[in-house]
Amino acid sequence: MTTSSTGIDRRSLLKASLFGAGAITAPSLLSACSPKSSGGGGGGSSSGPIRVGVISPLSGAWTVYGKAHSAGFQLAVDEINAAGGSLGRKWELVVTDSKTEPQVVTEQANRLVREEQVDFLAGTFSSAERNAAAPVATQADKLLLYPTFYEGQSQKFYPGVCNPNVFMFGPEPSEQVWPHMEYIMKKHGGKFFMIGSDYVWPRETNRLTKEKLKELGGSTVGEVYIPFNTPQYGSVLSQIRRSGADVIFLSLTGSDTVNFRRQLAAAGMKKDFVVWTVDDEEAATSGIGPDATEGDYVSFDYFWSIKTPNNETFRKKVQEKYPKVIMNTVGVAMYNAAHMTAKAIEKAGEVSTDAVRSALEDMTFDGAPQGSLTMRAEDHQAVLPSYLVQAQPNWTSPDNMFKVVHSVESVQPQAAQCDKLPLSKA
Amino acid sequence: MAAFLSLVIDIVSSTLVLALVSLGLGVVFGLVRVINMGHGAMLALGAYLTWAFSGAGVPFALAVVAATAGVAVVGLIFEALIIRHFYEQPFETLLISWGFYLVVTELIKIVWGSTLKNIRNPIPGTFSLGPAGIGRYEAMVCLVTILLLVAMGLMLYRTNVGVRVRAMIQNREMALMLGVNAPRMYRGVFVAGAAMAGLAGGLIAPMFSIEPDMGTLWLVRAFFVVTVGGLGAIVGGTLVGSALIGGATSIFALVSPQVFAQTVVFALAVVALRFRPVGILGRR
Repeated sequence: MTTSSTGIDRRSLLKASLFGAGAITAPSLLSACSPKSSGGGGGGSSSGPIRVGVISPLSGAWTVYGKAHSAGFQLAVDEINAAGGSLGRKWELVVTDSKTEPQVVTEQANRLVREEQVDFLAGTFSSAERNAAAPVATQADKLLLYPTFYEGQSQKFYPGVCNPNVFMFGPEPSEQVWPHMEYIMKKHGGKFFMIGSDYVWPRETNRLTKEKLKELGGSTVGEVYIPFNTPQYGSVLSQIRRSGADVIFLSLTGSDTVNFRRQLAAAGMKKDFVVWTVDDEEAATSGIGPDATEGDYVSFDYFWSIKTPNNETFRKKVQEKYPKVIMNTVGVAMYNAAHMTAKAIEKAGEVSTDAVRSALEDMTFDGAPQGSLTMRAEDHQAVLPSYLVQAQPNWTSPDNMFKVVHSVESVQPQAAQCDKLPLSKA
Repeated sequence: MAAFLSLVIDIVSSTLVLALVSLGLGVVFGLVRVINMGHGAMLALGAYLTWAFSGAGVPFALAVVAATAGVAVVGLIFEALIIRHFYEQPFETLLISWGFYLVVTELIKIVWGSTLKNIRNPIPGTFSLGPAGIGRYEAMVCLVTILLLVAMGLMLYRTNVGVRVRAMIQNREMALMLGVNAPRMYRGVFVAGAAMAGLAGGLIAPMFSIEPDMGTLWLVRAFFVVTVGGLGAIVGGTLVGSALIGGATSIFALVSPQVFAQTVVFALAVVALRFRPVGILGRR
């Protein structure tokens, strides 16, 4: 006797679920090979438009951060072109989708360099994406302008970091986290529970945070890494409850951070613990909602709500051109990257990789929305302001979402842990 | 003691939430043998409809009911137009329902965009059970899941409809010969499965990220629940499967890192299937 007259058994169902899991990722691989467009006049030639390859997370797990990413760069390029371009040459963008997958990034970077013959690359979002694009940039000797808050540079992650062809426009932990630790510890206590996604950025960020925490007399009472796409957090929440922590230090990303924070709030634990996230900028916080974020801390180099003269102008431009985009630290870093590179090209008088690189080194940009930004020559690390904000009760939009509670005007990041510094003489 | 109690609460609630999410899949697969890859999209649709209704000022409970009905209607249309021509053809229904998943997910993106949405927790606060506690809303979801499982058990084992459904599982041809109205019953089961997916999507919406692809987070887990629990053993199988996939993670997380805990649970599921290919509560 059989339960099934149709011939399905559990084996075929298992195969089916595996098939399903595979099929989820399959379409994105197929569409990665889009037809090439014309070669254009880039590739180091000295006439015609300056061609830039932009790699943005337009689909996939990190889409939530992706719109600001490409919009920030586009906004700056429109301004550059409106002012006549660089050396009389207009900028031309080739925007591609990373699909949030490193192997797609490698393909796209190769295509941009070989077929589109771009003069340099900008973008990629996650550390894994940057690590996929950097070898291509190195091999083709093109620059890669990287916008995201990230884990800092350490030789073992070469060529993704410690690479003379890569410039970092976002903050690393000694800028994003360290300046605010004393403030948090004084106010809420020094027992940290760390929870992050299971990849290099959270692990390195936590390593550096723990280092500083120890120095300041605090302690780590728990450290948990979560595989991507975990829906349920019950067991982590009870671990946190038992840990006696003062502060939940959070570096989850994508939908995981949303799921975790909504469940933390639903479990009624927000009143017992302080949350400090180094991931959830305006777009992610919008996804989590006001009830589950109220009172939580976030730190970055830029927030939509900071009050600087530059940001006031910048906000107007964004609202006019991209009223639907939630602007964030990554979009602003892309904006700064384009403007600083335009200045570097003017200063160098040419678009060659070597000339633009030395012009970018030590360059200061006073037009950055967050204040002033200097590209440190020795390790290509941006010297940036740092803000700690708190989510406000019943916020309705990024306009009234965050209030600055602590800030540092300019932070010198710790020196990159690279074998040879300065990078470009290596 | 407090730690033990909170562990128990955690295991029970993880299990029940996973059971809620898997139930629709188990019903459709267990009763009419359709591997409904569209289940994930139905969950997402339930969450989005709940979000849209409550955004329009409908009280949360009513919004969930409306979303359940909405997804049931979508399931009915899908069944009437396409699925009914493909019963008894497992591979075809698998592909077709995967197509359904892709289409619905893209439609959600077109209609509501791909930014994350959220629903304010309708019942904030916690119940404290001695030294441990549980969120009121989560407790409510668990309660609804228990009621749903009980209702399902009663329907299957205490009503005439249940007798016919069970007859179909046990011996399809005989049941058909004895006059079970198969097309109507198949349609009823498929729509009920869709409604349960809609209900689950609506109920979990305040605790999770609402995004077009949210179903993928659950689909593979739900499939494991259904296969490990045991095909056709709808109430018990779903519970046992959920306890193994959801609850056991909590136990392993006590002594090992999360990454390991989540992996070992799936490994255990595979081992369980090696020795009980019909699922833990399944019958041959």
